[in-house]
Amino acid sequence: MLNVVYYARPQSIEEALELMASGDLTPIAGGTDVIVQLRHGGPRKLIDVTGLGLDRVREDGEYVEIGACVTHSTLSRHAALRAGAPLLSLAAGSVGTEQIRNRGTIGGNMVNASPSADTVPALLSHDAELVLVSQSGTRTVPVGEFISGPYFTEKRADELLHSIRCRKAGAGARVAFIKVGRREAVNISRMTVALHAEMGKDGTAREIRLSVGSAFPTACRLGEVEALVRGNKCTEKLFREAGALASALMVKRTGVRWSTPYKQPVLAGLVERALREAVGRRRE
Amino acid sequence: MMSHSERRGVDKDSRVGKDGRAGLVTGVRFRLNGIAFEREVPVGWTLLRYLRDGLGYTGTKCGCEIGECGACTVLFNGEAVNSCLVLASQIDGAQIWTIEGVAPTGGRELHPVQRAFVESGAVHCGFCTPGMVMSAIGLLLKSRNPTETEMRSAIDGNLCRCTGYVQVIDAVKGSVSQVSDADLAKFRPAVGTARTEQAGRA
Repeated sequence: MLNVVYYARPQSIEEALELMASGDLTPIAGGTDVIVQLRHGGPRKLIDVTGLGLDRVREDGEYVEIGACVTHSTLSRHAALRAGAPLLSLAAGSVGTEQIRNRGTIGGNMVNASPSADTVPALLSHDAELVLVSQSGTRTVPVGEFISGPYFTEKRADELLHSIRCRKAGAGARVAFIKVGRREAVNISRMTVALHAEMGKDGTAREIRLSVGSAFPTACRLGEVEALVRGNKCTEKLFREAGALASALMVKRTGVRWSTPYKQPVLAGLVERALREAVGRRRE
Repeated sequence: MMSHSERRGVDKDSRVGKDGRAGLVTGVRFRLNGIAFEREVPVGWTLLRYLRDGLGYTGTKCGCEIGECGACTVLFNGEAVNSCLVLASQIDGAQIWTIEGVAPTGGRELHPVQRAFVESGAVHCGFCTPGMVMSAIGLLLKSRNPTETEMRSAIDGNLCRCTGYVQVIDAVKGSVSQVSDADLAKFRPAVGTARTEQAGRA
């Protein structure tokens, strides 16, 4: 018997926010994280958010709006997301297993805030924003500011994550998503790189967004590496320098750990590979 | 093998937990293998526990209970899910299919997917088989002409310790060629179930 002492499944957002106002409810959608967590820890009061219509994908001009309850399965298959948010689509397709992807949601992945959550580096490189709602109103928070530490977010206890907005990737956008782990599936990533680039006519990267997961306490953009690559000729030498810089940043920020001899060369290699895949190719 | 009508007597008092406490219960209406149910379920039970211990449907197996082995796979609104990661309280309005419901009614012959598993030699100890069959059906509901990569991805959440997966992939390939639209019709959720409206069209 899992330790659930309260369960409600409201049918409207208004009803849900009224319940959330008590500040002691745990939202549950697909349950792939919450139910596992219920096996440990104290009693929980659950609010099931799957009846609130938050499972839609909506195109809004230059933006795509993804409801918090959209599953990884839908994210990886949805035509508008494969085109408009390709990193997110790739990341979602790599989560867990088919069964987990059919239930797990983008909102749950975000709010659970594991340092190895796969969709987070992708959303960082898509410059996404989160829409949070409560009885006090609505607020929008950039993804990078939402996750404040491992398993810690800026979501208040009375707030629900409503949706995630990202600007659609342009037709010429080049992306690379690489996830490394101990096996092919059921795989908590040991490192993820999500790269989004737009090329200028002179063959240099005009716009570059590089995010890394499972290497820092939270997934994050690597601004210094982006600055190194932006506007410069895309050569193997540049890619190697970018990889080395990424590695150095990781060691500087997290110190030397038991995993450093592994993660240091792997991060450098992944950043090089991502750049090569995304911007190294000539146009067909 | 018990038919659906024989199972009617198997409902235990699912409101009482192993320690004898009467847990919190909630009312749910759902369809299981095409049959409408209206029940009170303990909120602290997973769908897996409810299927096996509450309703007596023991075809769905319990392996890890944390969503990593797939032995508990069922179809939930047309998609393969780990029933150990669904709360019994979350099945209100859902359409659920378990291995017991796969064969055509009457249970005298096998469903083409089951036959493919038998003919490919994919059933060794049989423990992973119900989950594998449900995942295979889940794949066919999403894609009638899957690539081998898609087939492997569809069973990437189903562990098998016997076959090395070779015969299982053969069985999935056999299913693809043997199954007709009519064979899949009953598993498709009726229009109006939440998920059917959200999937994008290519």
